Amino acid sequence: MASVAARSFVFRQQMNTRRFDFASCLNIKSFYSSYSANPKEKSPENYTQYHEVSSDNWKFVERLKPPTVVPSFPKNGSCFSDWTPPPDTPPNLPYFVKRTKNFMVPVYLNFEAVRNQRKITMVKHIEGDIWALEKAIKSHLEEVTKRQVVSQVHEVAMYIKFRGDYVLHVKKWLLNAGF
Amino acid sequence: MILSLYGAWQKNCGGAFPPKFKAPRQVWVSNMDTVEEEKLGLIDLHPEVFAERPRVDIIHENVRWQQLYRHVSYANTKMRYEVRGGGKKPRQQKGSGRSRHGSIRSPIWRGGGIVHGPRSPTPYFYMLGFNTRLNGLRSTLSAKLAQDDLHIVDSLDIPTDDPSYLEKLVEERGWGPAVLFVDDNDIMPLNITAASDSHGHYNLMPVYGLNVYSMLKHHTLVLTLAAVERLEERLLFHLNRNDAASAGQKYRLDSV
Repeated sequence: MASVAARSFVFRQQMNTRRFDFASCLNIKSFYSSYSANPKEKSPENYTQYHEVSSDNWKFVERLKPPTVVPSFPKNGSCFSDWTPPPDTPPNLPYFVKRTKNFMVPVYLNFEAVRNQRKITMVKHIEGDIWALEKAIKSHLEEVTKRQVVSQVHEVAMYIKFRGDYVLHVKKWLLNAGF
Repeated sequence: MILSLYGAWQKNCGGAFPPKFKAPRQVWVSNMDTVEEEKLGLIDLHPEVFAERPRVDIIHENVRWQQLYRHVSYANTKMRYEVRGGGKKPRQQKGSGRSRHGSIRSPIWRGGGIVHGPRSPTPYFYMLGFNTRLNGLRSTLSAKLAQDDLHIVDSLDIPTDDPSYLEKLVEERGWGPAVLFVDDNDIMPLNITAASDSHGHYNLMPVYGLNVYSMLKHHTLVLTLAAVERLEERLLFHLNRNDAASAGQKYRLDSV
């Protein structure tokens, strides 16, 4: 016990010397509970100088911020990726597949785990006659892959699911159809 | 005059709108100055907000959430340690020929504690996902418009603060028994505030208070032009933004 106390006393002495160096640079601000207890504001020469900058400079800050909305795509000019812009007029079909907010074709690959994981191709943002669209895509897929394709039509949420990974086939078909 | 909110659309949806397939819905703008309806002009309503297929399941989820998130159940039953008595062993373990017990308030006893009963207070708070609430607003607005229960007025300024003026106006125009007036500002004009004060079925609401439950509770929804502009701007912003995940991070309840 005594040795521990002695050791801690020595340690505190060492700490004290070090702490004294800290105290000069540390200026901990205390917040009191009432207005009258708080130190009052001094005249301006006690504080650091500042100068106001014109509000025109805000544009330098704004241009650094990323845009929250995808900006419009250039109307003319080729894109060096696979992406093609949506056409100006919709095709003359009883259904329509709208592009997403990022102008992408709304075909997704889901992995629905029913014991053995299943790949599901999902087409969203469908408007109009969903059954006609399903028939058209299904016949195209069966022609291309030469096997039976199982599909699900959800009329309330307006999506179609195909069992299998046909994302590229469906995307190509939609782009050719003019969506 | 044909008013167009195309400026607001372009600002919020990087140039992709108005959408090509769904046509904008055209609605008359009426006045509130006279009891008889005077059509001041036509306005285009954005189809993404006002012409969406109404999802009844999403509307139901919203109504259920609005009713349930603030519900606290105060029902309470006592557990075996709360029921008065039952500290002493009723009879000794062996020798009496009867079954063995440790307490007269155990759950198998008559008058004993309840094991899995209600415990007061039980909150039923939960947050519905942001997009579910967003789509609930879209579905309800679309349903209201499709069922002729949505009307647009230029402003909520009425000539008198007489409550009967509002009654006559609503009666004349065939608006439902209950009317919800929605404006952009939360401080409403004095006359309409005084006129609707005595009626519990005419309610004033700012745009930020618009919700699925209130829209369904009131038969007719009356929006001002400013309210429509604000609504469209806000809803389209949320439908077209790309930073929703990062912006909503601080509101997530299940993560720190």
